[in-house]
Amino acid sequence: MKRAPIVLAGTAAGLIGVVSYHSSSPSSAVAVSSASGSTATPSSTAASATTTTTASTKTAAATASAKTRTATGSDVSFRYGDLQVKVTMTGTRVSDISLVQLNASDPHSQGIDQAAIPQLQQEATSAQSAKIDGVSGASYTSAAYEQSLQSALDKLKA
Amino acid sequence: MSALPTTGEVIVRHAEPVMGTVVSFDMRPRGLAFERSRAALAKACAVLHRADDVFSLYKPDSSLSRLRSGELRVGDCPPEVAVVLALCELAREQSDAWFDPWAMPGGVDPTGLVKGWAARQAADVLRAEGVGAAMVNAAGDIAVFGRPAPTRMWRVGVRAPHAPDGLLCVLETEGAVATSGGYERGPHVRNPRTGGPASAALSATVCGPDLTFADAFATGLLAAGEPGFPDVRRAGYEALVVRTDGSCAHTPAFPFAGATNAGDVMRRSA
Repeated sequence: MKRAPIVLAGTAAGLIGVVSYHSSSPSSAVAVSSASGSTATPSSTAASATTTTTASTKTAAATASAKTRTATGSDVSFRYGDLQVKVTMTGTRVSDISLVQLNASDPHSQGIDQAAIPQLQQEATSAQSAKIDGVSGASYTSAAYEQSLQSALDKLKA
Repeated sequence: MSALPTTGEVIVRHAEPVMGTVVSFDMRPRGLAFERSRAALAKACAVLHRADDVFSLYKPDSSLSRLRSGELRVGDCPPEVAVVLALCELAREQSDAWFDPWAMPGGVDPTGLVKGWAARQAADVLRAEGVGAAMVNAAGDIAVFGRPAPTRMWRVGVRAPHAPDGLLCVLETEGAVATSGGYERGPHVRNPRTGGPASAALSATVCGPDLTFADAFATGLLAAGEPGFPDVRRAGYEALVVRTDGSCAHTPAFPFAGATNAGDVMRRSA
């Protein structure tokens, strides 16, 4: 018996009307940025990047045009250990996020962390590889990472 | 109509902490004013927070938690609860019950579908608001529309279960990609037929038109392994699983980005 491909339609649009706005505003979170290749804006988010851009080169490029500040987030424990992130801001934009501390409590979770965290760093810094737009595969440590990240961002706003 | 230049295009990126994880956005407004793009983003984020409020099992006062405890009936819940349960029923039927939220301990648990459903809704909001193209990545479950550039589709790397920062392959999508795996949180997904941990695969990736179902099928394939492929294909989706020995299997039309990647996977599975 052949079944048609299933695609959800209609219900989504119908539900949007009942959605209420939440206190969380996008502008208060990690990175809302726009970049145009035709201006002097640092190139980390420009679509024109044709090679993999590393965090360090972005930071260096950004330093030339705006003030750079850094803050380290709080040490956050999660199920398998603890972690801490450092955020670099150039002007009003997050230019780099790096992991300054990761202690995993057992060998199994070390394997997990190494795999999970680079993915989040890549997404949070908006680093664009010319080859990949995103990574599919979940990561347990996201909540801890985000918590430390947010505390670092809060410090930078203060 | 002239092709859009690949340089100088405005990109709006955002990472929203929600649903116990981070959901990231990559938007190409394509002529939509920046302020309107920001408004669209706020609306999409509101959809995610709303889904979290209604469906989170970590919040004892969420509608789903109260439904499971018997405090509420479906009719007492916000309308999207009934919608999600109906989608779960459809996904259960289409997956030959390899995905079965009613077989989970502690009452009905649509978690295997809700994140995908919510991310898909967020993407729909962006599209409805006039954003030209976007990728919404809910911690590895991805919904896209449009293209990042006129000549190419969105490219997604599939994480290798046990290789640090390693990618198994790269695929191209114009719809949805979901990956489930026990490798990040331990064996949290259960086999609905045995009640034990879902152990047929280390990870399962499903591609197709709708992230709601891709997410549910990926969850189901962790328990089913390759025997679940025919059902997934009948529903219009493609799948790749990493077997417990680390080798791979995939459906014939899995959308690998280029032959090199397919070759890599074939070598791994040899």
